[in-house]
Amino acid sequence: MLIFSVFKTLTDQQVTVELKNDLSITGILKSVDQFLNIRLDNIKVLDEGRHPHMMAVKNCFIRGSVVRYVQLPSEHVDTQLLEDATRREALSQVKR
Amino acid sequence: MDETTPPPPPEEHSPPPPPPQSHTGSPTDFLKGVVGKRVIVRLTSGVDYQGILSCLDGYMNIALEQTEEHVNGAITNRYGDAFIRGNNVLYISAAETI
Amino acid sequence: MDPSATGIQEPFDLIRLSLSERVFVKLRGDREVTGILHAYDGHMNLILSDVEETIMIVDTENAPDGTVNVAKRKMEMLFVRGDGVILVSPPSRA
Repeated sequence: MLIFSVFKTLTDQQVTVELKNDLSITGILKSVDQFLNIRLDNIKVLDEGRHPHMMAVKNCFIRGSVVRYVQLPSEHVDTQLLEDATRREALSQVKR
Repeated sequence: MDETTPPPPPEEHSPPPPPPQSHTGSPTDFLKGVVGKRVIVRLTSGVDYQGILSCLDGYMNIALEQTEEHVNGAITNRYGDAFIRGNNVLYISAAETI
Repeated sequence: MDPSATGIQEPFDLIRLSLSERVFVKLRGDREVTGILHAYDGHMNLILSDVEETIMIVDTENAPDGTVNVAKRKMEMLFVRGDGVILVSPPSRA
């Protein structure tokens, strides 16, 4: 839930999603859900030569399970806030 | 009539010793028994981690101390502490008597 | 060091105590990353900063076996999906 919240705060920011099949897609994060499925707008594929079929694609939905990494805009991530929230969530799960 | 051979007299032996504890318990008992002991954790990839088992949880997530990573018998890494995500675990083997 | 002295009761404690520290993460697909840990969850989804990724590429074609090519790259802020995580090691605190 915590990571879901983080992604929600990053909507309308530019991110780069790297998939498990090595395809990297940069775009504007339009929405995310609890499975960390991701909708991207204005997308650009990093290595278009290797993925020419992607050139015409302007936006996409990415199933969360195929994501390896997401590169985030660090200027929009409050690391102190993240650590505090992570500790809070960890403690609440121990007491469950 | 002919006498059947009498049954051998019951010998007053002490009952057989109980099998060692490590063979009687449930998997849970085994896991409780190896906490704090040296273990070998084999992953499905074939990589082995040998170290002292700090603790583990229901997903078989594992915390190890003084861990050595073994690939094909050679040490490839050492970690002071290591968290292993449970889905990668094939087995946990006791590396000392428990 | 006495194993019982570290105060770790469940494996995730090890990760919690590594928040804001540099951690080593071993991933599926012969990848490793190091970075400063800022967030994690029960799936071992991670958010790291100041990340360096190392990809091991085993050259089976024109090199004697055992030769490993290594590709490295850096990223400022990275989300790592938990299902790819094999191992996380905190900084060795002596």
